[in-house]
Amino acid sequence: MLELLQQSLFSGLLVGSVYALVALGIALTFGAMKIINLAHGELVLLAAYMAYVIESRTGWNPYAAIPLAFALTGIVSVVIYLLIERIREHRELNSLILTFAIGIILTNAILLVFASDVRSTGSPFLQDAVSFGPVYAMKGEITAFIISLAVMAGLWWWLKNSWYGRAVRAVSSNRDAAKLMGIDPRRVELAAFIVAGILASVAGVALYTMSVVQPALGPGLTIKAFIVAVLAGVGSIPGVFCAALLLGVTEAMTVTLASSALQELVGMVLFLLVLFFMPNGLFGARARRG
Amino acid sequence: MLRLEDVTVRFGGLTALKDVSFAMGAGEILGLVGPNGAGKTTLFNTISGLVRPKTGRILFAEREIGRLPLHARARLGLGRTFQIPQPMHHLTVRENLTVAQVFGAGKADTARVDEILEVMELGQHAERNAATELALQELKRLEIAKALATNPKLLLLDEVLAGLESNAKRRFVDKLRELHERYKLAIVIVEHDIETISTLCSRAVVLNFGQMIADGTPAEVFRNPAVVESYTGAADA
Repeated sequence: MLELLQQSLFSGLLVGSVYALVALGIALTFGAMKIINLAHGELVLLAAYMAYVIESRTGWNPYAAIPLAFALTGIVSVVIYLLIERIREHRELNSLILTFAIGIILTNAILLVFASDVRSTGSPFLQDAVSFGPVYAMKGEITAFIISLAVMAGLWWWLKNSWYGRAVRAVSSNRDAAKLMGIDPRRVELAAFIVAGILASVAGVALYTMSVVQPALGPGLTIKAFIVAVLAGVGSIPGVFCAALLLGVTEAMTVTLASSALQELVGMVLFLLVLFFMPNGLFGARARRG
Repeated sequence: MLRLEDVTVRFGGLTALKDVSFAMGAGEILGLVGPNGAGKTTLFNTISGLVRPKTGRILFAEREIGRLPLHARARLGLGRTFQIPQPMHHLTVRENLTVAQVFGAGKADTARVDEILEVMELGQHAERNAATELALQELKRLEIAKALATNPKLLLLDEVLAGLESNAKRRFVDKLRELHERYKLAIVIVEHDIETISTLCSRAVVLNFGQMIADGTPAEVFRNPAVVESYTGAADA
């Protein structure tokens, strides 16, 4: 039993790293624009299918699809941004409806092009098992975990050290004050959407290499990312990472100790508990002075 | 430097400003006074770009700015502070200034940021979080420091002295004089305290119910019966 729990913990941590990438994309656009992009899961899915296309057509490693995946998710992200930017009234609410509709369109476009079949990597290298003491993982899972960590570190650096990263943090903090500092919020929002597109493309390819993908996966990914963002609270990359790992581990433990039928439910229960008892999230900022 | 011509602002059926016109020169310190609800903050919001005027023109450095967005006005040299400090709370104190400098003044100049931190007595707080680790007085100084980092020609200060006790207020007024001299700034300050306006400003403009009712030296306007009436409700009070 102990070995089973150790394995669940390990698998949960690995899948949690990909949840973190998806959640950071949602958190970034929410921070910059105060809108929730409900089509973000479909962007991840789009990238996953680009990995499938590259692998099945060329036989290359699916990670070679990241530039193509980013080109596609980048274009769709910019289109979504331009549509949201045209909303003049009640942007927060209307953007939910808009991005929900875009998500449906993307899901059906994927269904039309790739059919409803389940896809996963055929790479012998990525499917090969590797052991770490008592626990096992596919090399695809380990690769996804390492790449996710590297991308998160890159995002952390960009937000901390680049001028546009700082501007994203400034606009997230206080939009009007940022404008008075000479920051053009539209440019910052566009930058946030493009970076979210990069995160979605890496997350999609990583997901394809460690799991199975099918056209109906998008909304579930968005919901998981939203749960992670709420668990983490606003404005904390380490918080998003920890919350995503927590969700991944909780799901894996639920499957091991209870039933796979409860896997999706446990995330929602966590979500409600945090909303009730810790509305700032597990790692969010506490009440501020001044 | 700044000229308003018949500026009118309406919110639905409510006229918040009506035909407000005045001009001020470079290096002038102008006090904007009036009872609560007179339209002082609305006027600041209109000049800085948070509110669009229904009619009238706003000229800054001989350029019509009435249709420009906030960030474009900031880049032209129009700095503004809020009555309640608005730090960018995901950033440190130093980052607040460097971001303001890069996007507002168009260049990164570490020496100038250090100078502003020193002048505003924020040097020892430079690496602290702007929102969670500063006291009210420090937040107020940060509010001005952020505006200074954009290299402004005109500074709009909205009740920057509110909430300070009398000694702190006197020190703050001295600091504003120092900034005025050092950076050759024009300043418009919203303030309720008559003594502060009288000692700091060379001129005062008075608003009441969105209309300008007096314009002159502080001594002149505070003797003006219309101004006295606006504050007390009776001309002979």
